[in-house]
Amino acid sequence: MAQELTDEELLAAYQQGDPGAFEALLRRHRAPLFTFLLRMLGDRQRAEDLAQETFLRIVKGAPAWERRARFQTWLYTVARNLCIDQSRRDRFRRADSLDAEGPDGQPSMVDSVPGREIDPERAAASARIRPLLQQALLGLPPEQREVFVLREQAGVPFREIAEMVGVNENTVKSRMRYALEGLRKALAAAGVSEEAASDEPVVDVRLGRA
Amino acid sequence: MTHTESQDLLLDLAYGELDATRAAEVESHLSGCAECRQEKAVLDEARRMAAPLRELEQPSPAFDEPILRAARAQAQLEHDGNVGQVIEVTGTVRAMGLDAARVDAHGPVKARPIERLRPRWVVRAAVGGSVAAAAALALVVSNTLETRRNAEKAAAAVRTGEFEIRVQPAAPQTLDSALRDAEGKRAKDQAEERDRAAKPVAPEKSSEKVAQLPMRRPAQHDAASGGNLRGSGGDAVVSVRKKAALQAKEGAADAIRPRPPPTPSSGEQVAATSGPAPSTPSSPPQVAAVSRAEPSRASVEPPAAAAVRPRRDSSPVPVSKAESQPAQAAGPAPGASGAEAKAQEARHSSNYLLAASLYRDAAAMRSRDGDPGAAAWDLAHAVECLSAVARFDEAKEVRDELARLYPSETTALAAARRALRAVDPPVAPAEH
Repeated sequence: MAQELTDEELLAAYQQGDPGAFEALLRRHRAPLFTFLLRMLGDRQRAEDLAQETFLRIVKGAPAWERRARFQTWLYTVARNLCIDQSRRDRFRRADSLDAEGPDGQPSMVDSVPGREIDPERAAASARIRPLLQQALLGLPPEQREVFVLREQAGVPFREIAEMVGVNENTVKSRMRYALEGLRKALAAAGVSEEAASDEPVVDVRLGRA
Repeated sequence: MTHTESQDLLLDLAYGELDATRAAEVESHLSGCAECRQEKAVLDEARRMAAPLRELEQPSPAFDEPILRAARAQAQLEHDGNVGQVIEVTGTVRAMGLDAARVDAHGPVKARPIERLRPRWVVRAAVGGSVAAAAALALVVSNTLETRRNAEKAAAAVRTGEFEIRVQPAAPQTLDSALRDAEGKRAKDQAEERDRAAKPVAPEKSSEKVAQLPMRRPAQHDAASGGNLRGSGGDAVVSVRKKAALQAKEGAADAIRPRPPPTPSSGEQVAATSGPAPSTPSSPPQVAAVSRAEPSRASVEPPAAAAVRPRRDSSPVPVSKAESQPAQAAGPAPGASGAEAKAQEARHSSNYLLAASLYRDAAAMRSRDGDPGAAAWDLAHAVECLSAVARFDEAKEVRDELARLYPSETTALAAARRALRAVDPPVAPAEH
């Protein structure tokens, strides 16, 4: 029943004292939000911490929420702000060692980066090239990375991204072009071909209606 | 659609943000534009390469639990004000974004002790005491300041030459009797005039008119100068600065002084020119000649008390001296008053020796005219002037002369003694 309601209707129901409505919102957005933060930060634990804090802030601010504001925009704005704060704190930290083992037992970054000799079989598996993509993504400027992740992964339209980031829509699109071009060049330099990276067709990803 | 518009919409087309119509227009342009088609291909390639990043990652299984607890607690709080199940927080509460005060809403409430009110009379007594203390303090401060101000004023008066004249107020009875006496004297003079009516003295009337003028003016002048009088009990204390006194004296002298037919107005000029004047056959020429020929103290006999003698101490000395000339003194008065006016001018121009000499001359004339009060005051002024230039020996002689000749003029004598108190302190009472 609650799955059929929009985000805003669920939040309104939660404002009326229905905890189940918020549970539905959480289940709808937990993975996309966590993925967004993971792409932005490149660290699962910090991404999970920030995702939890984002939802707790939504809980705290829910009584003051007004229905004319879109829930998804609010959610990702909070997450983005937390992400920026976290990035500022991390700016002065020592960079993660490339020799460190990846999360969940994944191979280290050094092991993931292919040499000059390209192994087509290895590049073909998207799961295996994901660390490369993540590394290339983290190499983008933050303003390009956030636009790319918000649009490509979170499915936020350019117009809403412009509202969240505080720039006009053309600027958002320009950043998006630069981000795509940068990723393409980085992956090509890493030996990742288009055919190896894409084992499925390019689709438009939209969140909130999963 | 132009090429530029198509370029702008390529991203929207790639991400499916164009409506069907708009998307068809862009596709139509792409079919005929190789550059746009190439750019669209690059975008699609980049997206396909980044496709693995779109795969969703799942957080840990324990991710939802604290969020759902907080959501339930918040919903309960918003619904009925009860937080419901208390969230157990092992880490920092702030990191979870929770409000610690709300979580602890069921904590024990410490009752505030009841404040004991003070009795009302205590408050009133405190207020009254404060007011009384403030009033007492203000009184003490005011008295202290007043005392200090008086002391400073006295010191300044000594320094700057400001003088203070303490005179006895004129008793109303005395004034009345003086006026009655004056009227009687006037009637007597008129009777004598009638007796001498056979003698043709034409100018007598004009001189009488001039002489009568001062009889009416004292009251006016007293009223006019009343602003300078400060009464306190039986004494009237008059503080007159030199300048103000000079103006008052000169004004009074000008108003009262008989105007001689020729221009000179000072005593000396009157004395010098009055001798050969045929039109004024009255006595002033002889008086002036005598007064200039011999000093005032040479052969002055104690005069008899004047029938009419306005009290000099009923008004500031300089004014009353000039205004209190009796009517019958119209003859010699110009000489005496002229000498006094000249003495005053000399005194105010700090020529004290000349002033003392003129005052003594005036005293001699006043004594001869039968005005011991005025004579006594002239001598007192001479004492003051001599004291001012440290001629204390001469001043003492004049004071002694004053005491000897006019022992009843206590006020003038007191003024003379006051002028000499610095070098002649009062006699201390005998010790037992």
